[in-house]
Amino acid sequence: MILKVEEINRVVQATILPEEASLSNADAFKEEMITIIGKGVRLVIVSFENVNYIDSSFLGSLVVALKYAMPRNVDIYLVSLKPDVKNLLTLIRMDKVFRIFNNYEEAQGTLN
Amino acid sequence: MREDSDQITIVFNSNREGIPGTLNLCLDHIRQKAGTSPLDEDLLAKIKWVIMELLTNAVKHSGERETVLKIGLTVDAVILEKEDYGKPLVLVGQDRKKIMWPLEEMVRPLDFPIYHNGMDSLCVRTDESGRAIFFIEELAELEMPALLSDTSEHFGLLIMTKASDEFAYEHEPESGLNRFISTFYFTQPIP
Repeated sequence: MILKVEEINRVVQATILPEEASLSNADAFKEEMITIIGKGVRLVIVSFENVNYIDSSFLGSLVVALKYAMPRNVDIYLVSLKPDVKNLLTLIRMDKVFRIFNNYEEAQGTLN
Repeated sequence: MREDSDQITIVFNSNREGIPGTLNLCLDHIRQKAGTSPLDEDLLAKIKWVIMELLTNAVKHSGERETVLKIGLTVDAVILEKEDYGKPLVLVGQDRKKIMWPLEEMVRPLDFPIYHNGMDSLCVRTDESGRAIFFIEELAELEMPALLSDTSEHFGLLIMTKASDEFAYEHEPESGLNRFISTFYFTQPIP
């Protein structure tokens, strides 16, 4: 289990549990995200609060999840990224395709 | 592990479980060699990303073979080298064309676009010796980032190219050796 999941009113908070978001758990993350998205939710907020580093494999899984979500009208927001992780996403321009917030509360604020 | 004055050689068994430990070993060496002139945190973060990607690349593409990582610190640069005897590099470009090493004489020198995400175009340029130098061409931003059209083996190459000051690949046909080289130049030399 890579994600700790809580759902309220079709909004899912999915917290990545490992400190390393990498090749070793990228496939499991992708499968769990696809399962969540397939349940008919409207928004998945992915928290990186535990993640100290991330690699290209995990970033690839994140993009696969977004590609699966978009035609199903499901949004994916990213929250609580540590500076190293956020800088890497920015380096390869992933900040242009994901909405990024400081924390869950800020992300949920967009729903009102 | 062999250690001399400015370079260590680390043998990595190309298994994913070994990545965190090997990464920490590399970073510890760099911090230790930097000594009383600690490296800028932003630079260390970039070095960490590249080591991660080199090790991940080894797990994905070297099979069960050993990979050798060499880390050198000079007065003006950190140089990371990854060597193995696995399959030579094959790059598939945006138009699905392939280039593979060893390169045929007729295709040298060559500029080859590999991937673009709507803002950056990752390209490779080969020189007379067949050495491949990766570089980025910035594009005018597209309305819909092309990032989503290619999920890709290319993220790793993109990270290593953008994080490094120089990123290159060499292949020695006689021995079968593959070598990726990532160089980070200090803005101010280490005293």
